[in-house]
Amino acid sequence: MRYESQRIAYWFFATSMLLLALQIVYGFLMGFAHIGFDVLHEIIPFHVARATHLNLLVVWLLCGFMGATYYIVPEEVGRELHSVKAAWVQLISLVVVGVVAILGFHFQWWEGRKFLEIPRPLDWLVVVNVLLFLANIALTMWKAPRMTTTSCVLFFGLLMAALLYLPGMIPTDHQTLDSYWRWWVVHLWVEGVWELIMGGILAYLLIKLTGVDREVIEKWLYVIVGLTFLSGILGTGHHYYYIGTPRYWLLIGGIFSALEPLAFLGMAIYAIAMARRGGRAHANRNALSWTIGCSVMSFVGAGFLGFAHTLPQVNLWTHGTLVTAMHGHMAFWGAYAMLVLGIVAYAMPQLTGRKLHDTPLSAYAFWASNIGMVAMTVAFGVAGVAQVYLERKMGLDFLQVQEEIAVHFVGLILAAALFASGIAAYIVQFVRYGLPVGVVQPAHEAEIASTLATDGGVGAAARG
Amino acid sequence: MLSKSAARRFFLVGTALCFGAFLLLTVDTLGRIPEQTNQQELSESAIRGKHLWDRSNCMGCHTLLGEGAYYAPELTRVHSRRGPVFIEAMLRDPEAMYPGRRRMWQYDFSDQEIQDLVAFFAWIDRMDLNGFPAEPNLLQVAGADGLGDAASRYPLTFQQICVACHKLEGQGGVVGPALDGVADRMTPETLRKHLKDPKSVKPDSLMPQLPLDDATIDELVAFLSTLKASSTGGAR
Repeated sequence: MRYESQRIAYWFFATSMLLLALQIVYGFLMGFAHIGFDVLHEIIPFHVARATHLNLLVVWLLCGFMGATYYIVPEEVGRELHSVKAAWVQLISLVVVGVVAILGFHFQWWEGRKFLEIPRPLDWLVVVNVLLFLANIALTMWKAPRMTTTSCVLFFGLLMAALLYLPGMIPTDHQTLDSYWRWWVVHLWVEGVWELIMGGILAYLLIKLTGVDREVIEKWLYVIVGLTFLSGILGTGHHYYYIGTPRYWLLIGGIFSALEPLAFLGMAIYAIAMARRGGRAHANRNALSWTIGCSVMSFVGAGFLGFAHTLPQVNLWTHGTLVTAMHGHMAFWGAYAMLVLGIVAYAMPQLTGRKLHDTPLSAYAFWASNIGMVAMTVAFGVAGVAQVYLERKMGLDFLQVQEEIAVHFVGLILAAALFASGIAAYIVQFVRYGLPVGVVQPAHEAEIASTLATDGGVGAAARG
Repeated sequence: MLSKSAARRFFLVGTALCFGAFLLLTVDTLGRIPEQTNQQELSESAIRGKHLWDRSNCMGCHTLLGEGAYYAPELTRVHSRRGPVFIEAMLRDPEAMYPGRRRMWQYDFSDQEIQDLVAFFAWIDRMDLNGFPAEPNLLQVAGADGLGDAASRYPLTFQQICVACHKLEGQGGVVGPALDGVADRMTPETLRKHLKDPKSVKPDSLMPQLPLDDATIDELVAFLSTLKASSTGGAR
């Protein structure tokens, strides 16, 4: 830790951990409902659990991204945060809005639009909150002695994420238009600008963990985020096949979304290549596991499994089945959950001054959660494919098919138990680290000088 | 070897081109959606139904246009699959329709709200969705002896509502008893009474009292009366 203000990141990470744990609880509720134990139906019916599960995911990931940004930016640009107080205000208000939204869901106060269930008045508060966050980061970067590509990509990703929240708020009476704009938010977030955030955080972790030259890592960062947008923007078309939009989206969405795995493949090759190339072995092997794991699992979950049902000929049958849940779980896990867990695993020893990385517990957390998630994905996949054939291809009744495939949800729950034990280990480890009381160690003069030398040009260009 | 500035240019130019193309396509799509979705038929009632759909978070369990959750049936074509009578009965009391099965939230919708949702489903039903949802294409193979065909000879109401719970010729739901040979077990008068109020015939019946009009009941009674064991599938 180089700067006093980086400590604020700890509290964002702690909030993330809490929300992640809650998200898993709601996941179990739904898993049990699928096999007929909908015991909490009167208090938490399925649609409440579902809205809560999804929104907790979004909020804990955003909270993790914000924590990561507060941690990374001071070190990258070489100065304290503009205002720690504003960061606190922002965290507390985010938690308040989150708690009100989640409680509101239980009283069925919501919008009922997948991923964007938060009611409109709270949407506006989210916007204000994110603006406060962005202003704080922007002022920090503006006043800084230098600006790195990594921090610029990260900031640009966050800024675009904030702007792209707005189309989701366009009022409409039309179901197709509603979906059209909703995907501008959801798709362009997770298969667009969130990948910038991912790229930025991964680049930071790779620079720190592998010791490969910043210039090399950042060059490839541009190539990867370039590929992301080249495929991801028009790849939005794969949500426009069957919702009442013109037929040309089958072609455009099909071609561009089929290219989406390239960006993720690039990300995986990049992370592995940099790790092999790196001369310096960083002590925190666990953080490196999460970093490499993130790039690999995001390729498998988001890239490969996404490709598996993105072509219109396939999607015609799988659209709106559990096949989507299969892809969704591993994609979010690989690309974004592991990313946040990675930066937390990297930052905790620095924030707290305790070298608890690479304990048996942290190794267990990594392997149990990953093996558990792979097994969950398999269970969803088998259930989904069976559903496609029985219901969609043979025309059997929905509920009858659901009863046939319920057995795979027993498998899902067992796999989820393994996954949850891994996350529990991760959280226990997080708690054992204790509070952020680590000693601030100013960077060596030589290190600053060398970074300045390589980044001077970029900083000037980005500002001019 | 690629330089950092070339990599940055690739990123900036690629992104700008793709986003520009996406914006142009969006403008074109917005112009075409009204025709493809029969926007002129989107009534006030259907609009209220759409907002009720959102407010009730129906997407939290169902899919519509293939979007939502995977806990309850796809509803894009529900209006032609089940018809307004079934939808109305389901929305009024979901537990009565599927006793002891997966549960739907009891929303206590008013009559007006139910009509609005039915109007909304009717509008969605007629959208041109580029072929979604696809007709099952393995059914012909599964029913090589012509069972798939038989269904087309059943009255519409029977295909939409009755088969949700009852089997006939091996096709249909498992909640109620199979209807093969039902004419041997019940006279037309009993059938009529049963359709109007199931509990008046069988006090322990799980069958809901469906809001069927007299003409529909006449049609169903006439059809059911042909289902004798001696000529299973009397409609043949």
